[in-house]
Amino acid sequence: MASDEFREGLIAELSNLRAFAVSLCGSVQQADDLVQDTMLKAWGNSEKFQPGTSLRAWLFTILRNTYYSLYRKRGREVQDSDGTYAQRLTVSGEQESALDLADFRIALAKLSEEHREVLIMVGASGLSYEEAAEICGVAVGTIKSRVNRARVKLADLLGISSVDDIGPERSTSAVIHQSPADMART
Amino acid sequence: MREKADKREAEEPEVERDIVLDPRIQDAIGRSLKAHYDDLIKAPVPDRFLVLLAELEAKERKNGQ
Repeated sequence: MASDEFREGLIAELSNLRAFAVSLCGSVQQADDLVQDTMLKAWGNSEKFQPGTSLRAWLFTILRNTYYSLYRKRGREVQDSDGTYAQRLTVSGEQESALDLADFRIALAKLSEEHREVLIMVGASGLSYEEAAEICGVAVGTIKSRVNRARVKLADLLGISSVDDIGPERSTSAVIHQSPADMART
Repeated sequence: MREKADKREAEEPEVERDIVLDPRIQDAIGRSLKAHYDDLIKAPVPDRFLVLLAELEAKERKNGQ
């Protein structure tokens, strides 16, 4: 029987599960089906979760396994390489990054799943390299190597070949290069 | 072509031989990744998930007694 604590934890992780699922599937509808399947499996196996370990990592493992065993093929048929989810879910106009979010999502959708998942896990969801390695069933060094290659590939897809391609830099080191116009934009 | 290379090297990390991006480009990509993910996180969780959980709980309570 699932404990209240497990239930609360699961609810708290829903938005992360969904973000990971959308990133993997590229389609919101499919992502929501995947999250639902993940929830059912997690609930049915709640006694296998070890309290004190990362619930997010545990749930991501289930979600990822479900995706690769059930969704991947289906996904290929409906997947849009232009990343339609970029238009569907984006609500915020504000943006922290130097790169355009819609462009970034199109590039992200073009990455291989192997590269996309590691970038999301390690670069966005807050999981450690060690957790990502365990989730993917590979060595930590392999994850590090994949993250590096994924970044290089992504930069290539985004047409970034030098620092000049990423627009005004917001870090303090580059402040001297910032014109008033650039300042106004940030 | 890429798939082939990835498979061959999958279990032998060769980080030092890989191309390494300028830290500022890495940083820009990192910030975009977070912007992408945070935007998804902010989207409201559909009711269907909470409904599902309530159903699972109700079923469990029924079976438990």
